[in-house]
Amino acid sequence: MKYALAIDIGGTFTDAVLIRSDGNSWTDKTLTTHGNLLEGFLRAAEFVLERADIAFKDVNDVVVHATTVVTNVLIERKGSLTGMIVTEGFKDVLYIRDEHRYDMFDPQIEYPEPLITRDYTWGAKERIFSDATIGAAIDEANIREIARDMVAKKIVSVAVCLLNSYCNPVHEREVRRILNEEAPNIFVTLSSDVAPQMREYLRASTTAVNAYAVPITRPYLDALTKILKDFGVHNEPLIMLSNGGIIGARIAGTYPVRMIESGPAAGALVAGHIARKYGFENLISFDMGGTTAKACMIQQGEPLVVGDFEVDRQYLFKPGSGMPVTVPSIDMIEIGAGGGSVARVDALGLLKVGPDSAGSDPGPACYNRGGEEACVTDADVILNILDPDNFLNGDMKLEAGRSEAAIQNLAGKLGLSVKETAWGIFSVVGESMAAAARAHATDRGINYRGLPLLAFGGAGPVHACYVADRLESTQVIYPPMASVLSAFGTLVTPARLDLVRGGLSFLNDLDWGSIEDTIDDMVKEGRAALMEAGIAEGSIMYEFSADMRYSGQQNEVTILLESDLRETKNSDDFRRRFEKQYEILYGICLDDMEVEIVNWRVTAHGGSTNREVSIVLTDKLASSKSLRSVFMENGEIEVPVYDRKSLASGQEIIGPVIIEERETTAFILPGWTMKVHADGSLIATKHIQGGQ
Amino acid sequence: MDGIQLEIMWSNLISIVSEQAKSLQRIAFSPIVREAGDLATALFDSEARMVAQAITGTPGHINSLAAAAWQMIEIIPPEDIYPGDVLITNDPWLSAGHFFDITLLTPIFRKGKIIGYCGSTIHHTDIGGYGVGAGARDIHEEGLWIPVMKFYERGKPNETLHKIIRRNVRTPDAIFGDLGAQTSSGKIGGERLNAMCDRYDLDDIDELSAEIIARSDKATRDAIKELPAGTYHGESQFDVPGGELITLKTALTIDTDIGEILIDFAGSSGPSSLGINVVMAYTHAYSTFAIRSILNPELPNNAGSLAPIVVSAPEKCIINAQYPSPVNARHVVGMYVPFPILKALTKIIPEKTLAEGSGAVWTIQVQGQDKNGQPFTSSMFNYSGGMGARFTKDGLSATCYPTGVSAVPIEVLEASIPIEFTCKELVPNTGGKGRQKGGDGQRIGFRVRSGEKWALNAIPSRLNTQPEGLLGGKPGAAGAFMINGVASNEARKLTMAADDEVLMITPGGGGFGKPT
Repeated sequence: MKYALAIDIGGTFTDAVLIRSDGNSWTDKTLTTHGNLLEGFLRAAEFVLERADIAFKDVNDVVVHATTVVTNVLIERKGSLTGMIVTEGFKDVLYIRDEHRYDMFDPQIEYPEPLITRDYTWGAKERIFSDATIGAAIDEANIREIARDMVAKKIVSVAVCLLNSYCNPVHEREVRRILNEEAPNIFVTLSSDVAPQMREYLRASTTAVNAYAVPITRPYLDALTKILKDFGVHNEPLIMLSNGGIIGARIAGTYPVRMIESGPAAGALVAGHIARKYGFENLISFDMGGTTAKACMIQQGEPLVVGDFEVDRQYLFKPGSGMPVTVPSIDMIEIGAGGGSVARVDALGLLKVGPDSAGSDPGPACYNRGGEEACVTDADVILNILDPDNFLNGDMKLEAGRSEAAIQNLAGKLGLSVKETAWGIFSVVGESMAAAARAHATDRGINYRGLPLLAFGGAGPVHACYVADRLESTQVIYPPMASVLSAFGTLVTPARLDLVRGGLSFLNDLDWGSIEDTIDDMVKEGRAALMEAGIAEGSIMYEFSADMRYSGQQNEVTILLESDLRETKNSDDFRRRFEKQYEILYGICLDDMEVEIVNWRVTAHGGSTNREVSIVLTDKLASSKSLRSVFMENGEIEVPVYDRKSLASGQEIIGPVIIEERETTAFILPGWTMKVHADGSLIATKHIQGGQ
Repeated sequence: MDGIQLEIMWSNLISIVSEQAKSLQRIAFSPIVREAGDLATALFDSEARMVAQAITGTPGHINSLAAAAWQMIEIIPPEDIYPGDVLITNDPWLSAGHFFDITLLTPIFRKGKIIGYCGSTIHHTDIGGYGVGAGARDIHEEGLWIPVMKFYERGKPNETLHKIIRRNVRTPDAIFGDLGAQTSSGKIGGERLNAMCDRYDLDDIDELSAEIIARSDKATRDAIKELPAGTYHGESQFDVPGGELITLKTALTIDTDIGEILIDFAGSSGPSSLGINVVMAYTHAYSTFAIRSILNPELPNNAGSLAPIVVSAPEKCIINAQYPSPVNARHVVGMYVPFPILKALTKIIPEKTLAEGSGAVWTIQVQGQDKNGQPFTSSMFNYSGGMGARFTKDGLSATCYPTGVSAVPIEVLEASIPIEFTCKELVPNTGGKGRQKGGDGQRIGFRVRSGEKWALNAIPSRLNTQPEGLLGGKPGAAGAFMINGVASNEARKLTMAADDEVLMITPGGGGFGKPT
């Protein structure tokens, strides 16, 4: 028997999943130990090992780890003293940003304080031009002096980001060589390693994030590796990255910027896994928690991966108010709509929900912890979708009276009853999530209409069916293990590394020799990393793509190329693929314009894993445990309530119906039918078109 | 319509126009659109009143598009508009104040009837004539003037107009690439509005639009009514390329009976012989922007939220340009329009305003021949000075207000033309001292690596006049523009020697409150 272990450290909980090769599984969760994350890691692991009655040394398949450690370091600014070396004359690149005001109308906007201050930024005498030629050679004495200054100032880690290094890294490598000699204890991050792409601010921001986090993540992952080895675990741990791949702990520790979104990425990976399992080509994953909801488009069974995202947004979750990071990441939209999102009536008399959240403390009014504002969960309680006595199996009592008082406030302003207002909150939050998903899909040229939804997260199953209706979707899947889904996701994740190199050139004038060198280089790096993650050389697969645009444009479209462009060398095919995708995205095609390549990309991956969980269901049809009167648009309706664990395989129930489990409640609307799949998933299908 | 239904459909309308704006910006050839977001998209009802608008780029565009639509359908009335038609104009007085900005308006049909229009304005790469800069002597020297016409007729291109445009611009492929994107964006916007009507079973959006406009109008008036009634004065001075000193004066009257703000610019400087005159639509755009960003920035922009703000200026005035005044570089003056208004408002709501900053962004264009003798023309690129301090927050460094444009990355410029930047760094303490400090300006140096002589078109401002602080805050530093270390202040295009080096120091923002 093979045992595989997954640990997902999130902001609140640390989740553990243990899977045995016969399909048996054990799950548990414990509170995240922010002081020392490894404590929580080991506790959660011990919990599931105990349940399975085995020890660490019996874990003979993979150990995969997703962690929020980097995000915490960034948001709480707990990193070590970090310095930066840039080309002389360009010291304020992190302060000047791109000079953009992300909200034109609001003069009060704010930006995050740069991770590296001006006092710890040094200018190096050197210059490389955009054609990779050297304008001014690096001055070794100058760099040695900087290095000594850094030691004197007790710098722990340094980001090196020189102008145009994306096309010629020699100066940055020279800086590293000298720093290693003068100050061997300083961690060095080169922009030409982390993000070799044009645009100095984006590259510098990415490099700074990495340099800031390295002194935390390297020791953390080293310690984890050592402890697991001491405990007799067979394999070194693998780490989940934001791009939806796993990689060895050593490489992950060197490039922490690649693991920022590892938890949410794992959630999206499961969505892909489930889509493939049920034969859905495309699907929308819908993960709604306490503060935010995240949606991800699954295409051909895979979540989309994009080249950049933002961390630590400062101002009302607004795009542009965070630090940009250009590393591949699962493409997710996150909006301020969760169970704790606050409802209010604005100056126009409109009911608004979010993006501000009451979080878990004080939380919604019904938590009775001092929160007085009406939240989404309060509306769910007033509508009678949630049973206040059965939240977390009754471990946490909700006070419906508090919810009512909070919503009464808004009802007065709207001139509606409390129940009508609660339904308003329910529908406004549903519409805003649907609107965000529509915009996200449209932006990517995806037709969202009719795509099935995968609902998870604490509040996801409560609201998914309504959101599905707004998206003209006819199916919603409620997977088992919804509360530890991300941890499970890491176990179905293939090893994967995404690499990118700048390579600006016209499509009709490609220098195949240098392209081959660039691609060879990336393939080599990808191969080495995957072999380190335990993948046999022969089973590593490579995908090639290029970022292309019409000459004169500034934004690129990533285009997947044929199997190995080094063999085919077919630039006509590049153009055909580009135009096809461009037309899908923007509805036009420009025949006369030249096309250029901006970046080359290589993805190395190790193929999918086949770990599966089998859940044994009863075959005795369950009956409802109670009837509940739920308020909807057209008044009260009677809704039967079932316990999820009592449901039999294949059982069908016509909506409306409420299915309760410990961590969440699924609310299936009238017009939908719910069926229990043999693997424990519930699948709701719309049987009345145009209803609700 | 209750507050719940309305919220849902309203956010639907806004998401339709926002998506159009996003995709236009992504695919634009015009660098100022893609890097700086110099574009606007909006949705109008059947009477051409603006109902929803994307939040993008610059106030100059978004607020002047609001007035363009109804003027366009006065010239080509709805009964002469058919499915597949697309209207076009770049008339400075009808839309955004100079020829570079081309506005397209697409009717949206439902069951054979016009239920609304999709409009977009973007700043194109070229429009023939003088090019970027303030040097033309009258408007006709500034380029091709497209009156309100049909760009497409019943789905077919107006070949005559297409040929005329193609022959009269320097970069026809880029212009038609962008016009094509605008056309397709209008079409998709119409489809999405129809899909929304299907979803909510609507025949038209008249009732929805009336409700949105009425509520926005009322909310804006209610906000105005909470201000103390009276007339408040503000004045702002700045110098423009060539050294001319411009004064903008505002009398701002708050009428709390009907909830209106009247902004009058009587006493401001007269017309200029340079192409820096501002048409009334653009002045109106920046005036309403100033009020809206201070009074209620969270309220969406539409005909209702703009109506209670009334703007006037005398005829002989730099911010009420008359034919045939040149207007090409109107942003140099137009972007200062908010400052006298902010000063007037500081007398009653100082906690919401901000001090003067660098004002207009500095724009630059470089032309020459590369090492192989090939001519090159850079895109227009721009850099900001410091923003004025706010009541409780420092001003942002190297960040522009009122416009919201971004700077083109150095590496992008260096890769596209033979330019070499020698520095781009903040200049500490150029922001004015105060309880809150003004944002710092920056130092930017560059030269051309071609070994040939080259041409420079630069539009700096505030080289002599410092941005003022507010309520005891100290002024920010004035800017500096130097060629080989020698100060230069020219409004027209300069011929530069091969190894000339330009150094610019953008102004710092003013401080807010007495320094402690």
